Amino acid sequence: MNESTPEQKLDLEAISQKLKDKKGPAYWRSLEEVAKTAEFQKWVDDEFPNRRDLATIDRRSLLKFMGASLAMAGLAGCRGVFLPEEKLVAYVEQPEELLIGTPLFYSTTMPFMGYGFGVLCSQREGRPIKLEGNPRHPMSLGSINSMVEAEMLNFYDPDRLSNVIQQGNISTWEQFAETASDAIQAQVAKQGAGLRFLTGTVTSPTVAAQLNTLRSKFPQSKWYCYDPIDRDGERKGSMAVFGKQYETRLDLSKANVIVSLDSDFLLRRPDSVALARQWADGRRITGTDGTMNRLYAFSSRMTTTAATADHYWPVRPSELEIIASAIAAGLGVGQAPSSLPVDASIVSAIVKDLQQNQGSAVVIPGEEQTPNLHALCFAINEALGAFGKSVLIQEPVDYNPTPRVDQMTSLTNDLNQGLVDLIFIIGGNPAYDAPADLNFGSALGKAKVKIYLSMYETETSAVCDWTAPVSHPLEAWGDLRAHDGTISLTQPLMEPLYDSWSVIEFLSSLYGPKQEGYDILRDYYKQGPHKLDHNKFKVALYKGMLEETTQPTVVPKVNTASIQPVAISPAGTEVRFQSCGKILDGTYSNNGWLRELPDQITKGTWDNVIEISPAMAQQLNISSGNILKVSTQLGTVEGPAWIQPGQPNNAITMTLGYGRTAGGVVATADEATGYNAYVIRSSQSMGFLPASAGATIQNQGGDFRFANVQLHNGMENRDIVREGTMDEMKQALAAGKKPFRFPNEEEIDLDDLNLYPKDVFRWDGPQWGMTIDLTTCTGCNACVTACQAENNIPVVGKDQVARGREMHWIRIDRYYGGNKTSSPEADTLSAPPVVFQPVMCVQCEKAPCEPVCPVAATVHSHDGINQMVYNRCVGTRYCSDNCPYKVRRFNFLNYQMEQLQFQDIQKIPLLKLLNNPDVTVRSRGVMEKCNYCIQRISDARIEAKKAGLPIRDGSILTACQQACPTRTITFGNIADPEAKVAAMRKDPRSYLLLGDMNTRPRTSHMARLRNPNPEIVS
Amino acid sequence: MAVQEQLPREILIGGEQNYGSVNQIIDKVILNNGLHRKWFYITLLLGVMGTGLMLVSIGWLLYMGIGIWGNQIPVGWAWDIVNFVWWIGIGHAGTLISAILLLLRQQWRNSINRFAEAMTIFAVMCAGMYPLLHTGRPWVDYWLFPYPNILGLWPQYRSPLFWDVCAVSTYFTVSLLFWYMGLVPDMASLRDRATNKFAKYGYAIACLGWRGSAKHWHRYEQANLLLAGFATPLVLSVHSTVSFDFAMSVVPGWNPTIFPPYFVAGAVYGGFAMVLNFAIPIRKAYKLEDLITMKHIDWMCKIMLATSLIVFYGYAMEVFFGWYSGSKGEIDLTVYRMVGEYKLEYWMLIFCNCVAPQTMWFPKLRQNLWVVWIVAAIAGLGMWLERFVIIPMCLQINPLPAIDRPYHPTIWDIALFTGTIGFFTMLMMLFVRALPTINIFEVKDLLYKTIRSEGKSEIIKPATAVGVE
Repeated sequence: MNESTPEQKLDLEAISQKLKDKKGPAYWRSLEEVAKTAEFQKWVDDEFPNRRDLATIDRRSLLKFMGASLAMAGLAGCRGVFLPEEKLVAYVEQPEELLIGTPLFYSTTMPFMGYGFGVLCSQREGRPIKLEGNPRHPMSLGSINSMVEAEMLNFYDPDRLSNVIQQGNISTWEQFAETASDAIQAQVAKQGAGLRFLTGTVTSPTVAAQLNTLRSKFPQSKWYCYDPIDRDGERKGSMAVFGKQYETRLDLSKANVIVSLDSDFLLRRPDSVALARQWADGRRITGTDGTMNRLYAFSSRMTTTAATADHYWPVRPSELEIIASAIAAGLGVGQAPSSLPVDASIVSAIVKDLQQNQGSAVVIPGEEQTPNLHALCFAINEALGAFGKSVLIQEPVDYNPTPRVDQMTSLTNDLNQGLVDLIFIIGGNPAYDAPADLNFGSALGKAKVKIYLSMYETETSAVCDWTAPVSHPLEAWGDLRAHDGTISLTQPLMEPLYDSWSVIEFLSSLYGPKQEGYDILRDYYKQGPHKLDHNKFKVALYKGMLEETTQPTVVPKVNTASIQPVAISPAGTEVRFQSCGKILDGTYSNNGWLRELPDQITKGTWDNVIEISPAMAQQLNISSGNILKVSTQLGTVEGPAWIQPGQPNNAITMTLGYGRTAGGVVATADEATGYNAYVIRSSQSMGFLPASAGATIQNQGGDFRFANVQLHNGMENRDIVREGTMDEMKQALAAGKKPFRFPNEEEIDLDDLNLYPKDVFRWDGPQWGMTIDLTTCTGCNACVTACQAENNIPVVGKDQVARGREMHWIRIDRYYGGNKTSSPEADTLSAPPVVFQPVMCVQCEKAPCEPVCPVAATVHSHDGINQMVYNRCVGTRYCSDNCPYKVRRFNFLNYQMEQLQFQDIQKIPLLKLLNNPDVTVRSRGVMEKCNYCIQRISDARIEAKKAGLPIRDGSILTACQQACPTRTITFGNIADPEAKVAAMRKDPRSYLLLGDMNTRPRTSHMARLRNPNPEIVS
Repeated sequence: MAVQEQLPREILIGGEQNYGSVNQIIDKVILNNGLHRKWFYITLLLGVMGTGLMLVSIGWLLYMGIGIWGNQIPVGWAWDIVNFVWWIGIGHAGTLISAILLLLRQQWRNSINRFAEAMTIFAVMCAGMYPLLHTGRPWVDYWLFPYPNILGLWPQYRSPLFWDVCAVSTYFTVSLLFWYMGLVPDMASLRDRATNKFAKYGYAIACLGWRGSAKHWHRYEQANLLLAGFATPLVLSVHSTVSFDFAMSVVPGWNPTIFPPYFVAGAVYGGFAMVLNFAIPIRKAYKLEDLITMKHIDWMCKIMLATSLIVFYGYAMEVFFGWYSGSKGEIDLTVYRMVGEYKLEYWMLIFCNCVAPQTMWFPKLRQNLWVVWIVAAIAGLGMWLERFVIIPMCLQINPLPAIDRPYHPTIWDIALFTGTIGFFTMLMMLFVRALPTINIFEVKDLLYKTIRSEGKSEIIKPATAVGVE
């Protein structure tokens, strides 16, 4: 169409002459401007140069255009017929602060094991996208764990209960409210004698106040709490030695020596994220500077803590008390046991180490362990002078701290005696997870009116008359307290997706007309003990919490007389019940992210297994995948055997939270439900079944189909994970060698062998790189889930994982045994050294994937990132074949749309809301992989450019780095000598994974330092 | 020609033959309907059913994605590329016979070249299907070809896959032209002899107006030589390029430098085996013993033997390189092959490609058609196993052992492979039915030379142009 005058040729010489003659500021927009060509003048004069004047169009062309326009208009009309109909609704009034395309962050609080976990939630155009840790919050310290991260998926879960259910039929809130108010009116006369409330752990001041209001209205009513994963051992132990119920709060930042007695404090405690940070900070080494704390672990199962410990001994669950009493006796408390499950020299060495670190040592008892073990540990910690330092004793944060089992037992008794007319079950799923001997499900049936508030239709809904949908914390107002008592506020990020009420709204409807959540919360903080004015409340909302509301600590005296003498545990099989490191007690059963997350230790997804030690398996002729039938007087459970190195002999470990029969399509997915260990868990022994319980194991044979992401567990004597001690490192450095290299050969400088000049990879600008310090990696998976949330990674289902097609961009390789130089060939099967190694795309400077792509879909960016161009990808998979790290993931099927929860076509749009708009949603047949969160880098680059400043070191956090509780991952500009990452790259421990392939990775790993006690020979 | 004259003559045509009888022997397969017995229709039906299975497999594949196969991470390539390389290899015998042996003036090629060339084309059709279908998004496969586009994007010339695209498409084009050109004089002959009106018209159109004039023959010979010149390097280059897919990578086990020659030898080995597998039954069924003599079979067996020894050397070198690399990953891979989950496949491979062909040392066994056919069938299997041992097995064992994962095919892997065998069989049967299986005019040429060299020039009829007899 452009038929304007032919462009005047630019005469460069004339231009430079003109520039030379110019005086004053010489800004010019283009060469044409300098040359002052006619075209340029036209551009300056005319807003739309080169346009066709209507008058200059001839008749025929005009008719042509008109015809074409008509045809196009006709096509546009077909939208909705064969093109999808799209609706575009603009903001008539743009909400304050909202800028389309930029995320807004709100502080809020997620419940985690009953306590409030402070988070920042990013919100895009009105929809919450991702949860990140709240740096101010004591439970988060800016990091997050997988479970809290995955609350995001729970929020958009299409399986959530969307309406009131009355005995299986859909009903309405109006009908429900009518029934509830009738039932409650009937209780007025009886002063609530037939009224019971059953909740989980309540740490919400507002809910507690509301329940108090209700109980003052119905003085005869009772409020019970139950959680399948409880702190009963600690509660009862505290009762025994202090005569009062206290909670312990740990502060590992002050601990040099930590002894874990069956505690998985790095993963399975409410405050694990904070503890992991403190633990890691206590062993951060730069160069050869810094000190390392020492972690001993006695454990009845392989856990992240056991795997990360400097020393680990597997012992049967009942034997931990013996160990504890031996340590206590060593410290002068009580009698030493007659025999020990481990070598006596080990215990004496530990005692010596503890004594030397008087005041900075701590012994942590297992959360699910016996009261007596907790009592012993209180005594030990007192003897170590840990009280007030690394062990803080505080008044319970929990508003109803009576031991859970006792509460559940009395409630069941009430129900069985027919005392209950009306029961409100708020959250939880007692029909599924109550101790089996109580037979709670059938007892519940005896109540006249059973009302259940839940996010899902669960096993308990089947027993209840009414199940009402409760709002997710991301769509409700509320409050919770952190493990240290800090009051944390929950604010909604979105209108409720369904017609649901929040807990506080529901409770308010029981003692008066239903109030709005905000009003309830605001009123509580206005009139309650805190007396917050509007501004203070706003500040609290902004920060996500009320600062300085930690629970006051006390230093009580331990009454050692109340500690019971320990008995030698009888022979026989013990059964340890552990909460799942992914879905806890079953709370997150329907969460695809967590179900598909590889188990920290077994690397299995979707199912739970029965862990059994190699020696025991050999003795009983069991191989992995055989179906085991575990029977007690209470019942039988059948589950697949998993031979787990590091599992004690004569004890098996069963994982709770699986075997669901209701609760959503993911929880009950075909072939991926797992077994239900609650069936044999009794109120007498919630943590483990002692040998006296007489559990028997029968091998049913069979070959269970696991969906494991790692099938090979040894390092095969290759230079993959480097590890060793500080002394070894110093020796190597003194000898001028690179420490921990395997085999211990001279390292060749591959650059010398390179045909290309060294500076071929140099570019004047930021060069992104990453370091991963294996010393502090606990393998907790927080990075994996954070990456999944950030990068729209789909859930592929058990079958696809079993076929080897999981999509996680980060995988955490777990090796047993180490290499021969770093660990003596001890009995590696019974207690093997374990190492974790997160591997994501290492962004090779000479990436093998790039030259083999026939369509140039994977290319290098100027800032050193190996980029994946999804739109260009044809899907030959050659890049993945040629990747030595195998970090590329392929969409073998249309995974985004074939996720389990997408089976119901009407629910598809809901999960689409979850997607991060900054990251392309990949279709079938496309390769994908980690790209250092390129969207975050671009964002920082744009912001820096706008501000006219260089990108500040530390201003870009990748999703994995941000989530990591132990700050294991560092990211930054390796070309900037000031940057932290550049310094870490030069650290003597830093090495390049598969460096001898000369791929020149941008991600470097840092050798794992262990801090073993030299007096203990493993 | 001078060299050839000095060589002792071999009897390449049996019986008392003249031009008419040669025509008769070859043409009757096409023109005499009654000659096709039940087995022909059964084989054809099986082929058609296989083709149906292939189409169903492709349809499901396009609908679902390649997730229906057993490929995974780390084994990104498995049966798809195994079958691709296998089929490409099958085709090699055809090109070798028609091009290299033509240039070397090996007269004995005349009675088997047509057949082998047809196999080449059909095999490359089966092979070409795989790389196009195995991509994640087959609808954008055209991006693999260099074509001018508004994106201004060309394929990535450093990628062996792009070389592959070029090599295979060139190979197919040249093979097709070569084959078709050779068919032109024969189709003219058939045009003249066909009584069925449709067949007559069909051959008349296909023979491009061939009249057998001296000018035609002159041009034909020129073009034939030119194409042979084109095709000769292709014999070596196509499979070398295919081997670059592996040899250019950094995957342990994929990158020994011996791959290109060893792949070519393997291809020739497998190709000749396939020729024997088809030629022996057809020769028997259509009584072509006089034209495909035991001498032919003997020579093909010898080529199989020779190439199997080269392949054997290749396997030995793979083991040597595994050790010599000094890399722990390579050594572990070599050991895994021999004792790992797929050790049976590895040792079967050694048996099929190294042990079984040793029978061909013995002239007596080379004369036993049953033995030859079975050894050839074993060779076909062996070559498939070789690719299996190279492709998915090397990917199962990785520099980082945490990602090692065994590979298992699915029903759809098997279905598509079975389908392509059916498709190949169907095309071969239709070829036998509709086109001269043996090159008529070249056999006549050979007959002429044979008779003349025997000094019996008197019985030769005056040289008439072929096709206007």
